[in-house]
Amino acid sequence: MQRVLDILSSGVHDAKNQLFRAESLLVQAEAEHGITLGEARYAIELAALRLSGVLATYKLQRHVETLSIGMASAGELIEEVVLVNREHCDRLGLEIIGDSSADEPWPLDRDLVLDILSNALQNASRFARRQIRMSACHADGFLLLRIEDDGPGFEEPDIDRMAKLGVGLFVARELAALHRRHDRHGRVELRNGGELGGAIMEVWLP
Amino acid sequence: MTALGPAVYRELRFLVIDDQPVARDSLRICAQTMGAFAVEFSSGYQDAIVRIRRAMPDVILCDYLLGNDRSGQQLLEELRRFDMLADDCVFIMVTAEQSYEQVVAAVELAPDDYIIKPFSPDRLKLRLDRVLRRKRFFKPLFAAKRAQDYAGAARFIEQVRDTEEGQVQRFELMRQHAEVLLLKGDALAAQAAFETILETHPFPWARAGKARALVGQSRLQEARAIMDQVVVDAPTFFGGFDLKAQICLEMGDYEEGQRTVAAASSKTGRNYVRKRLLADAALLSGDTATACAAMGDVVRNDTAPGAVSVADCLMLARSHVEAGELMEAEQALGGISAARMETASLDDKASWHALRALMAPDAERRQVAALRAAWIATPLCAQTRVDIIRAAFALGDQALAVAITSALFVSDEIRRVFKVVRGLFEAHAMVPAFRELQRSAALQKIGSADAS
Repeated sequence: MQRVLDILSSGVHDAKNQLFRAESLLVQAEAEHGITLGEARYAIELAALRLSGVLATYKLQRHVETLSIGMASAGELIEEVVLVNREHCDRLGLEIIGDSSADEPWPLDRDLVLDILSNALQNASRFARRQIRMSACHADGFLLLRIEDDGPGFEEPDIDRMAKLGVGLFVARELAALHRRHDRHGRVELRNGGELGGAIMEVWLP
Repeated sequence: MTALGPAVYRELRFLVIDDQPVARDSLRICAQTMGAFAVEFSSGYQDAIVRIRRAMPDVILCDYLLGNDRSGQQLLEELRRFDMLADDCVFIMVTAEQSYEQVVAAVELAPDDYIIKPFSPDRLKLRLDRVLRRKRFFKPLFAAKRAQDYAGAARFIEQVRDTEEGQVQRFELMRQHAEVLLLKGDALAAQAAFETILETHPFPWARAGKARALVGQSRLQEARAIMDQVVVDAPTFFGGFDLKAQICLEMGDYEEGQRTVAAASSKTGRNYVRKRLLADAALLSGDTATACAAMGDVVRNDTAPGAVSVADCLMLARSHVEAGELMEAEQALGGISAARMETASLDDKASWHALRALMAPDAERRQVAALRAAWIATPLCAQTRVDIIRAAFALGDQALAVAITSALFVSDEIRRVFKVVRGLFEAHAMVPAFRELQRSAALQKIGSADAS
């Protein structure tokens, strides 16, 4: 199993290096020719996100995924995810609102949580009509990260059922659960409604 | 957070380190898109060290894999070991491996940040903006620590704690506060500071910090119990292995100390600081073959300029002497030029004479007779004193052995070498003399405790 994991990891690693090369060449072409290739660059970012998701799924299925907990501010995470997705959302005519009242550093796996949020925002951008909101606050001793949109909402707002349908939600649910602190563990909740009236995904991290 | 403007980036000198030309070019494009004007390249480990020595960059973008069995992490550790990085130089590790975060979460010397490929110039700039702001904020603290002004460092932390930026950096300030307390020698307060951090999360580095604070209070058993668990929970935290090994050696458990550092060393082949610790542990546990091999590797391959010290050559010679390999020991001593010996420390000079006396007692007898009074009167390090005790026994000068051992007991440095020295007294049928030294040192301690 370790050998399969090594081969998979090495393949993903090589592919990400190539994607970085492709993205850099696009950036160079934009600068040299005064053109905008934002959608092509966004497609590269998504491809990398998918690769990370597939690798994470394999590790989670084999129970070998481990977290690297450090201190990160939710405000900084939201700022980064919004930055990566803003151009794409602008093109779709969507407004992204990033809002955090939780700037205090929190113990979490920064890169895995960034992937969860990026994936959630990318999903929301497929269904939102005009607005997506990404916010963070502290609630009940947890860091609560919320992504909501003004789209039609989830057909079935049940994380256990939805996690069977796609890699993104499966990975989000499992990675959130790996975050443990003082005998409590993280979770993902799905709802419909809220201020924007559409889908709401909440990531609760202890 | 407001982004830093292109004017800031135009002024910064970048150094891009990657063994792959294509990848270097990609990082150059990134840096130039952010506004950077001066971007220099380096193809790998050695070349990077030369360039950084020649002209300190403001920002280093370094790939994690540098080829030739070298990593960006090794480069960073080497740069910090020789104090080659300015406090305000930003070091960002670039990698396509998601698993790098496991590495960075565990290491003692972490880069200022790391970023996983692929990423856009905007994203890299966002990370760099944050690091640059953090560096500016902590600049007075770094300066105070560098000047060993720990009271000044503590004052800075106190002053900024409640500011707006201080709130953002609250956790890093807590970590710095704990570190400064350790550096100040206030082990009890440092322990409390690390325990406060541990309420947030059982970070391996914070558990190690608490263990270091316990060592500072001579609570070795408790420190050992913490580190036994840390190396199990964080198998890539090699600094944790080193600390556990050091604690084992202090406790006289030389074998476990050697096993522990050997486990870390086998995974960090080119870490020569760790190789030196392995040699120390091996020599204490009597494994002269491992000590010779480790020190031989250090002397041959630790190629950074000035890395191999007189003490290293002496350690190699010492290992060969104890292995009974006198020709090799002679060669090791021959590697130290007369000019270097002239400027060597008192410890190194004394060890050099003691080792020569061990190799050729009759030839060195007069020299030792001339030096013995100075050796007894001078506060020498534990390792040198052990060399002298060995030489004294080899020369039949038991009075010198007793005097130096007595000095070792008084200096309180006996802990680490206690079993070795006791072994030497045993081998020369002088156990009662050793016990008497031990007894008087204990009485002296009780006396001074009563007096205070």
